Amino acid sequence: MAKKYSDGREEFHVEKGDPVGMIAAQSMGEPGTQMVLRAFHLAGIESTISTSGLPRIAELVDAKKSPATPITYVYLEKSINKDLEKVVALMKKINEVRMSTIMRHAPMENFGKGLIKISLSGQELESEQLTAKQVASKLAKELEVEAYEKEGAIYINTHTKDAKKIRALSTKISKMVISGIEGAGKTTVQKDKNTGEFYIIAAGSNIESIINVDGVDKSRLTTNDVFAIYRLFGIEAARNSIIKELNQTLKEQKISVDERHLMLIADSMTSSGSIKGVGRHGLSGQKNSVLARAAYEETVKHLIHAAAFGEIDPMEGVTENILVGKQIPIGTGSVKLGIKTEQPKKK
Amino acid sequence: MQAEFIDYIRFGILSPEQAKKLSVAKLNVPDTYNEDGYPIDGGLLDQRLGVIDPGLICKTCGGRAKSCPGHFGHIELVRPVIHSEFSKVIHTLLDAVCFSCNRVMIKEAPQSPIPVKVVEKLISSKEEEAAALTVPQQAESKKDASAKIKLSKKCPFCGTPKKKIKFSSPTYFYVDDYKLKPDEIRDTLSKISNDDLEKLGINSETSRPEWFILSNLLVPPVNVRPSITLESGERSEDDLTHKLVDIMRINQRLEQNLNAGAPQIIIDDLWELLQYHVTAYFNNETAGIPPARHRSGRALKTLAQRLKGKEGRFRYNLSGKRVNFSARTVISVDPRLDIDQVGVPYEIASKLTVPFYVTSWNMPQAKEFLMRKEYPTAVNVITKDGKRKRVIDTNREELLAALQVGDIIERQLKDNDIAIFNRQPSLHRISIMAHRVKVLPGKTFRLNYCVTPPYNADFDGDEMNLHIPQTLEAQAEAKYLMEVQYQIFSQRDGDVIITNNEDGITGMYLLTQDSTRLSRDEASYLLSLADIYDLPKAEKDGTYAGKEIFSMLLPKGFNFQTKTSMGAFTIKNGKLVDGVVNKDTYGRGENRLLIKIGMDYGLDELKRFIFASSKLSDAYVTLAGVTVGVKEYIANARVEEERVKLLSEVSAKVSGLIEDYKNRKLEPLLGYNLKESLERMIIAELNLARDKAGEMLLKYENKDNSALQMAFAGSRGSVLNIEQMSMFLGQQSTLSGGRIRRGYYTGRVLPHIAPRDVSPTARGFVTTNYTAGLSAIDLFMHAVGSRGSEVYKALLTARSGYLYRRLSNALQDLSIKEDLSVRDTSGNLVQTIYGGDGISPANVKFLKLAGDEEKA
Repeated sequence: MAKKYSDGREEFHVEKGDPVGMIAAQSMGEPGTQMVLRAFHLAGIESTISTSGLPRIAELVDAKKSPATPITYVYLEKSINKDLEKVVALMKKINEVRMSTIMRHAPMENFGKGLIKISLSGQELESEQLTAKQVASKLAKELEVEAYEKEGAIYINTHTKDAKKIRALSTKISKMVISGIEGAGKTTVQKDKNTGEFYIIAAGSNIESIINVDGVDKSRLTTNDVFAIYRLFGIEAARNSIIKELNQTLKEQKISVDERHLMLIADSMTSSGSIKGVGRHGLSGQKNSVLARAAYEETVKHLIHAAAFGEIDPMEGVTENILVGKQIPIGTGSVKLGIKTEQPKKK
Repeated sequence: MQAEFIDYIRFGILSPEQAKKLSVAKLNVPDTYNEDGYPIDGGLLDQRLGVIDPGLICKTCGGRAKSCPGHFGHIELVRPVIHSEFSKVIHTLLDAVCFSCNRVMIKEAPQSPIPVKVVEKLISSKEEEAAALTVPQQAESKKDASAKIKLSKKCPFCGTPKKKIKFSSPTYFYVDDYKLKPDEIRDTLSKISNDDLEKLGINSETSRPEWFILSNLLVPPVNVRPSITLESGERSEDDLTHKLVDIMRINQRLEQNLNAGAPQIIIDDLWELLQYHVTAYFNNETAGIPPARHRSGRALKTLAQRLKGKEGRFRYNLSGKRVNFSARTVISVDPRLDIDQVGVPYEIASKLTVPFYVTSWNMPQAKEFLMRKEYPTAVNVITKDGKRKRVIDTNREELLAALQVGDIIERQLKDNDIAIFNRQPSLHRISIMAHRVKVLPGKTFRLNYCVTPPYNADFDGDEMNLHIPQTLEAQAEAKYLMEVQYQIFSQRDGDVIITNNEDGITGMYLLTQDSTRLSRDEASYLLSLADIYDLPKAEKDGTYAGKEIFSMLLPKGFNFQTKTSMGAFTIKNGKLVDGVVNKDTYGRGENRLLIKIGMDYGLDELKRFIFASSKLSDAYVTLAGVTVGVKEYIANARVEEERVKLLSEVSAKVSGLIEDYKNRKLEPLLGYNLKESLERMIIAELNLARDKAGEMLLKYENKDNSALQMAFAGSRGSVLNIEQMSMFLGQQSTLSGGRIRRGYYTGRVLPHIAPRDVSPTARGFVTTNYTAGLSAIDLFMHAVGSRGSEVYKALLTARSGYLYRRLSNALQDLSIKEDLSVRDTSGNLVQTIYGGDGISPANVKFLKLAGDEEKA
């Protein structure tokens, strides 16, 4: 019996005309209300804080340009990934430290002398394992100015008395990334329980730069930022990433949804070649039918546009046919049924 | 049963001439009724526009209130005004057009010019390319065009420098600080050539831009804006009529002033006032105008407001339609009904009707049926020409004589008719399923509890709707696509969704215990309920084993085995040899009994089995007596002892951690600082305590505890539930997911807690339980947690509802085509083969099972 089924896989196929899109939407929408804040989601020590549940799903299907909590998983090459010291060293290379985090307050400008004084927070410096001297030399190199350290503070001699230039420089300094990769965020080292290797978690998603760091295992670099993946690896990777992220989020919530539904959602979001959200600016707002768009959101806008440009509603979709009271062109509505009315012959 | 064929719908604007042609009456009296209460000729309720009062006759078509569809009238505006909704389009056009040569300032046509006419042609020819040339693309090419215009500083045709047009909402346009009058704008727009318009994507046949400026205002028929007669006899006019009166009044005043040769400033003021009223008439929420209001202060609902939003024409009346042949009442449970039946109260069954088509073959039966006097009886006869006649005792003979082939008799609902049953919110398609009708006494709809999961129904006052499909086609579709047995496996994940639950599982769990023995009387009673009138082989002492009785339900020669945490579960040759039935072996999940039966014997057999086993289970629960009281949740002395021990252990451990932290001896976790590490370690410790408590409960609690038994069966409740009620509640958390820590400025939650205390109890670890009662601090902590989740739930339902609406709107056009590809209704390819393998999600559990068996 079992053999029969797996040989003739058609037994398990979807039926022609099935409204798979609607079913996918329902499979995601119906359990939406069950997505509860997990009562005991504080479970593991390793778990990182990231958006989960419904907000995360919404973020993904809306194709938000950047996630609320970007995370990059940086696995390392085999030669170093068991050596904690080397991994930590690499982490420091990636870890993004902004001037604004290590400064005690905004730079103080002395317009008369053309000096900028930056007081640094000793505590922050310590936790980022930097010294004021390092910061000073870095500033000097990056900005091509004269910078020196004195009593834990950094002084920059601008050699100018132009207040505008000094102010511009000090704002620039406040925004500077002093060490690590811009957009990589704060990093931590974690240990993989199964393989015993160390890996780095970064609270940013600049994989375009991280991938070029020596020692990073390029084949295993991954992030939860779908658009970062799209930019670096292309639309197919982005599609897979959407599926992976949706799947993971649902699994966390203990909601079982077949992957095929998620694939369909991801495919319709990406089939145009770029990532489109499902809302009025994405898939729904770009339908062929004027009536379908008007029935969704921004009713008046779509009708006015249609009238002004002489648009045509081809009456192909579901919504517009329901609006005018016709059968929908899906499922049994996509075929016609005829019955012969002549009298059957008596036997 | 559907509308005439519609090829496509083309949108456009009416020219002033077309408007005049469409109109049956020029209206010039800004009033409604005269003193006698009759509509004024030339007024807004002119009888040529149609009638709504039952006694009157339409002066255009001669129809009465019911038969006259209404006719348009028009107002001739003495000065043209801008249709404010088109302001933005007017602005782009004025920006694009050269004021000296009247050309659109764009030399070559945009990259992919798709003239609307071509699209139209392609749509009718249904070529592959038609799908490619979609409206969004058109929109994109238009965007290109207007971008180019913005870049150019002078006209590429005559070299005149471009003038900047300033637009200010809603209808003001300025060139070099000179305010353009509507008629000037109209002149400019009318000089744009059709070819130039095409470059911008505008179809000049349907939408000449000068028609954006109105000179003949079309007035909708009275049917669109009926007046209401209040109880006091006073008439109350529709909002649209009010606005139209305003427009006509100002129009008349403007005319008088023009004729009298009033100064320009007065004319301009009135002109602007007219513009305001027309703007408000189209959209009373236009940015830049104060909304027109009633005397009561309520804003008028004008044309745009009628269409817009959830209660607007589109979403309220067009996307959602009201139906006949339906009923609604409270639901209640009836485990004796088969799972594909629905119990319908006699009162409802006698009012709902099903058509009986009279043909030459069933004429005798039809005549006989028509003469029936008691239920089920004929309610109406619909004659060939569509007239519906009620069947009453006095006209039976008459109708009988007139009965002919092609007539339809509407008969009362009876047993086994097909009905569509629904519970809102209809979140997925199994919220609407087809059932067989069973007419019953009483006033509620009855259903088997096995079908409650897909409806998400319970019987605490829920109401459900019933619909009776009226055509044979609809009945067939309902029967073969929507009937309950075809929905047993969920489309979401392939799991069994229609199944016995709660007591329906507990009974089987108890029955299939090794020790269960039943007397001959008991055994035959149980089996007879499951519609089996045979007894299995008795044991030596004349009793019957529970497993044997359960096996009687199984199909002959059935084989199945699975492994669970509670040991193996084996069915050999239709006999349960090993293991007990519980949630892990029976229904939801992978490799379960129901899935195997469904795969091997089909859905009808599966339906039979679910029904039979649920009845058997219910009966055994009743027989064995399973009851849950407070007693179940009072921990015994041993468990209580363990609880105290466990709590003191965890408290010692945590204070050890805190001590280490204070002495800086704590080893921080990778990637976290000392403080974060401490917090995480404490949380881990507390979670460990919770898990340990569960273990202790399992170890020392009496196994006869009904609550525990239900947890083992998986029918209701879990060990954690019992633990929380009889041992301790455990950690309460806030919305953000951490321990509770807000309050006074040191972060302590209550004044009873020392500042900076991070011990378990200070941060929401509840050590007491429901049965013994919560301590004051614990109660507060628990309330914090409860309130948090309550707030979150309210937020979540609203957000998830909207997410669902967006998702379904984006995906609803997708369906499976002949080659198993997924395309939308315009033919755009989304997947070359559905899901990469064409497998239906409803069958994945079959696939898994089949694959596993193959491997073995």
